[in-house]
Amino acid sequence: MKVGLPKGLLYYRYHPFFKTFFEELGAELITSEDTNKKVMDAGIRCCTSEACLPIKIFHGHVDALKNQCDLMVVPRIMKVSNNEYICPHLCSLPEMVVHSMDHLPPVTYQSLYFNSQKQLFHWAKDVGKLITPKRSAIEIAFNHALDRQANYKRTIDQSQYSYKILLVGHDYNLYDKYVNMNIIRKLNDLNLGVISSDSIGNGILNKYIKKLPRKPFWYYYRQAYGSAAFLIEKGEIDGIIFISCFSCGIDAVITEAIKDDMSSLPLLLVKLDEHSGDAGLDTRLEAFSDMLARSNTHHKKRRI
Amino acid sequence: MTVTVPHYGNSFIGLKVLFDALGINYVIPPRSNQTALDLGVLHSPEEICNPFKLMLGNYIQSIERGADTIIIIATNGPCRFGEYASLQQRLLKKAGYSAQFIILNTQSGKKALFEGIKKIGSHSSCSTFQKMKALLLAITAISLMDRIEIKLRYCSGYEKNKGECKRLLQSCYEAVVQTNSAKDAVKILKSFKHSIKSLPLDYNKKPLKIAIIGEIYTISDPFSSNHIEDQLMDIGISTTRSLTPTWWLKDSVLKPFKLNSLSMHRAAKEYIYTCAGGYTRETVGKALLAFKKGYDGAIQVFPVGCTPEVIAKPILEKISSDKSFPILTLIVDEMTGEEGFITRVEAFTDMLERRREKCII
Ligand code: SF4
Ligand code: SF4
Repeated sequence: MKVGLPKGLLYYRYHPFFKTFFEELGAELITSEDTNKKVMDAGIRCCTSEACLPIKIFHGHVDALKNQCDLMVVPRIMKVSNNEYICPHLCSLPEMVVHSMDHLPPVTYQSLYFNSQKQLFHWAKDVGKLITPKRSAIEIAFNHALDRQANYKRTIDQSQYSYKILLVGHDYNLYDKYVNMNIIRKLNDLNLGVISSDSIGNGILNKYIKKLPRKPFWYYYRQAYGSAAFLIEKGEIDGIIFISCFSCGIDAVITEAIKDDMSSLPLLLVKLDEHSGDAGLDTRLEAFSDMLARSNTHHKKRRI
Repeated sequence: MTVTVPHYGNSFIGLKVLFDALGINYVIPPRSNQTALDLGVLHSPEEICNPFKLMLGNYIQSIERGADTIIIIATNGPCRFGEYASLQQRLLKKAGYSAQFIILNTQSGKKALFEGIKKIGSHSSCSTFQKMKALLLAITAISLMDRIEIKLRYCSGYEKNKGECKRLLQSCYEAVVQTNSAKDAVKILKSFKHSIKSLPLDYNKKPLKIAIIGEIYTISDPFSSNHIEDQLMDIGISTTRSLTPTWWLKDSVLKPFKLNSLSMHRAAKEYIYTCAGGYTRETVGKALLAFKKGYDGAIQVFPVGCTPEVIAKPILEKISSDKSFPILTLIVDEMTGEEGFITRVEAFTDMLERRREKCII
């Protein structure tokens, strides 16, 4: 059995889990290529035009795989942490994909709860059944997948550059190089190091969101706000870059809070959609880096 | 203390009755209008959805009329409504308006709702018994208003005297806000409901029937939906709307028990396999119910950038082609004028008319 795993959305967060699980069950796993122009164009063609860029790109990856596999993984990720939500789009992904595209192989429409091992196993059981009747094999694969996921570390924390920037955003915007126009490389070339918003632990995040009047109910809100507040207080960063998407309701709210409460540091908002251009980004990053240099000498002078 | 509430369809009728019965000072903001929207747009981030901006405009217009306390319900779901309150608080402060917020969290459902009502009630000199009675009156009023509206919008397709349903609905709205007595308000509503019975109707007519589906705030608010329901009423089309404030009240309270909108959910099952965020499932379910009940078509209305409805859109397109059931999608933003809207609705109803003629032949 050939299983297709589209390289979009939370693939960047959970691919070790999916890969290990399906491979251990003996399925042949086919992953789509890295995002590229063809994938993006296919996504724009298949997906409803009002959706955000990451959702369109996911559709593009599905399109690239649909003729090569017997089962398509379209993860319906409901939660990644307790008492918090992610995005309605991620909870309805199978419906969106299935009803927008033709000639699809069967897709996995079961729900994934990454905050609860017990509930996650339900997913494994139901999906595993499609590949093997052996329950014990599913259990073993599931446990290995969990281990692999737990040992997987992908966060970025570079300290060999003269400045350090907190890069805030959803996993798929931080790690999909095509979508973010290779922003990390570009920053490094300007001698700016990067720490990613997902590199701060839960305990710290919880402590630093206390400044908000009410606990945010989106996971990414807590992550963005908490990591920024913490790193500013520690004096570890010189600026913040927020990669967000057009027509993303969640990003709109987070942006506002960050703009207001983190105004002590230079902030750059990079908004992505299918028209974002490379050249424009270069200019903005250079301007940002110049600004850092200026405000920093300022700092030093004052300190003397 | 002078309280105010944002507009939410016709819910202000119920809230007015509640405040009157409790003897609390209040300001009901002018019904959503261009000024409210302009004010909201001025002080909101661009990307946020229209209901948010309108509500912010409501607050400002109320504050200008003497309100100092804003009551808002923050439902928790994966959509933005839940984050509204804290962001609005932030923005009002930035814009230089001072007002206190009473946020009723319905995160834990029923309990929180009652907590909040207790909080508001503490500013009233009524006894607990009277407070309970006030709540009951308010609920009666709002469900009466909803029922009157639903009935009249449906009957308008069958009316003998053109425009009568619309006139009756308008005078009902006008009459009920005249009084400051909760009991009278309920009485007025009851008499209006009664007078529907004597409306001359012609059941031999076969009017077009259209279901209005989509984002709940927008379809319940005439200004936001560019008066689409009134427009359809004018040309003698019967409409029904999937979601009303009463439904939402029930939903907020009953969700912990999973009792509400069972029929919509059952209908949606064919296309939605599990609970999707926001009210996607209601929108899809309602479209399918309308199809099963023999409606001629459906119109989906939602504000630009509304996540749950964006999800519903491709699903509705699929339904439309699977069942050959016409569905028109209208997206509202600050820019779209009413005219463009009207033309599209007209083209849609013309198409439905033609379709029907073809079927008869
Ligand atoms: S969180 Fe925003 S960017 Fe991500 S899928 Fe949802 S709408 Fe799109
Ligand atoms: S349902 Fe739509 S309009 Fe309502 S808060 Fe969510 S995104 Fe905004």
